[in-house]
Amino acid sequence: MWTINKMFSIIGSHNFVIFFTTSGPHVEACFFYLFTTVMLVAAIGAVALRSPIYSLLSLLVSMFAVAALFVLLHAFFVAALQVLLYAGAILVLFLFVIMLLNLNQQELSRTRQHTLLVLGVGAGLVLLSVLVPILRLTAAAPAPDTPGTITAIGRLLFTQYLLPFEVTSLLLLAAIVGAVVLAKRRIDT
Amino acid sequence: MNWPILAVELALAALALIVLALDLVWSREQQERLGAVTTVGLLLILALWWHQRGASGTGFYGLAVLDRFAWYMKGLILGASLLVVTMTREFLRRLPGPRGELYLLLVLAATGMSLLTATADLTLLFVSLELLTFSLYVMTAYVRTDARSIEAGLKYLILGAVASASVLYGIAMLYSQTGHTRYDELTLHLMTHPPTPAVLLGMLLILSGLGFKIAMVPFHLWVPDVYEGAPTPVAAFLAVGSKTAGFAALLRLLLTTLQPLHAQWTWVLAALSGATMLYGNLAALPQKNIKRLLGYSSIGHVGYLLMGLSSASVLGTAGVLFYLLAYLLMTGAAFLVVVAVSQRIGSDRIEDYAGLSQRSPFLAAAMFVALMSLAGVPPLAGFFGKFLLILSAVQGQLFWLAAIGAVNVVISLYYYLLVIKQIYLRPAREDTELTVGLPYRFVLYACLAGILGVGIFQRPFLALATTAIQSWF
Repeated sequence: MWTINKMFSIIGSHNFVIFFTTSGPHVEACFFYLFTTVMLVAAIGAVALRSPIYSLLSLLVSMFAVAALFVLLHAFFVAALQVLLYAGAILVLFLFVIMLLNLNQQELSRTRQHTLLVLGVGAGLVLLSVLVPILRLTAAAPAPDTPGTITAIGRLLFTQYLLPFEVTSLLLLAAIVGAVVLAKRRIDT
Repeated sequence: MNWPILAVELALAALALIVLALDLVWSREQQERLGAVTTVGLLLILALWWHQRGASGTGFYGLAVLDRFAWYMKGLILGASLLVVTMTREFLRRLPGPRGELYLLLVLAATGMSLLTATADLTLLFVSLELLTFSLYVMTAYVRTDARSIEAGLKYLILGAVASASVLYGIAMLYSQTGHTRYDELTLHLMTHPPTPAVLLGMLLILSGLGFKIAMVPFHLWVPDVYEGAPTPVAAFLAVGSKTAGFAALLRLLLTTLQPLHAQWTWVLAALSGATMLYGNLAALPQKNIKRLLGYSSIGHVGYLLMGLSSASVLGTAGVLFYLLAYLLMTGAAFLVVVAVSQRIGSDRIEDYAGLSQRSPFLAAAMFVALMSLAGVPPLAGFFGKFLLILSAVQGQLFWLAAIGAVNVVISLYYYLLVIKQIYLRPAREDTELTVGLPYRFVLYACLAGILGVGIFQRPFLALATTAIQSWF
């Protein structure tokens, strides 16, 4: 809880958020393009860089940029979760896996196949050619007025979305039991 | 809040927690009884389900509904869970290691499936879909001493994650265009606004994610490997339970919420239905492994079901519901035989079924009836189901699709008969008798009685299926 509160005191109430969001459309647009550029460059780096550690750090930068975009959208809670969960927990997990596997250059080069590269880039371009015209043609529905604060989200979670919220607890139970079943070292008879 | 509308799901979740607690408290010997506990629990929940017939209502802020459709589908899912528990009890006899978790995950998966029939909101749709899939990932990889099981689990996990991402992206697209996730609000919005390209893209993405669940071509690639590698009861659960739940979600979504867009999705489903039927049945022809064969044939059956859905009529939809009942009984019976045989001879190869009629006339006869019904031979349940679905395609002016359906009946008859030839005409390599325990025999008898009963006395079952979906048309 302490971390979340601290996170909010940093990104929720400090001057820089107010600066972001109240200083006119031009400044907001500037920040939007700045963070989008950072996000895209870092994401490309995550795929293209040779060393897995560098890829990971690049992904981290990309995650932070996404969190900043959420702040621009007034979705403070999602921004905090983005930093805590993705940039924090999940990427640290990735880091551990990479370090534990300790892949050498030879093993890494086996994962780089040109056919896969061509297929991947091709599929990405096809997706882009579908998405760009579609998103150009359609305007998004207006966002709801409720601010993305912890209070607003908590209120929704425990009223309107109570049922999915509770089902998530069953989902976590299945995940925990599954992790124990699959990761237990010794199969006792 | 209106709790009673989710009584079945709440009871299933409670049963899962009871199994978990007993698994922790009980000693190794006592844990042998967990299968019995799960069976009794499911039977009690089945009684609760029967008590709820005719009940209806919405609750949980409009996120969940209980209507005749949900009630019907929940019955199928509880039936499938009972069959799978029976198979699991048989299966675990030969398997060293922990057992309680498999029952726990099975009940959790059943909870997810049951919720999927009742969901009237896109967020709840996603969460219950994940509950069902997570449990099935672990169940697929459950036999950790078997590399094929681990491989199957990994394949299912990776492809399943892509499918989940697709559903989620589709939901986000729909939400970004309409601002709603609840089905009733979405319907209202889609009826009053012309569909934007992004709405259509969102619909296609959700369709492809659910298509993965029901193993529709081209999202079927995981099926043969996962069916072969997974423990046989889990493969049966994937074939029967997961598919029924996927169809429940798909039917409600397409026929209520996305009904305003039905001009856009019917032709997609009709085309995919034809492709699915042809692919599933043709690829089943050269199979040597009975589980792979049943996997491919299950793809073929999804094709028939989609035929009824793509006609979007009362007849077609009632046909889908009727066929799901028949499919539960006949696939359940076939898998019951496969589990019993593979426990005793330790093989899933079709050539090892040679001479089964001498070693166990009962199992051989059961397999005969199940496969004949799957092929669609009258007077068994599968025949009338296929008849309804092909009829609905004709009624919907989809003559080419009806023709593909009819051709596929012939193709499927061929490979089912190949199995029957092994069972009845080939000499047995060993002549040890295969005996089956009484409770297991009883469940198998119940399935066979169902196949014959539903096939001969179709009227009450068809009436049940028709009343379940009448309010949508």
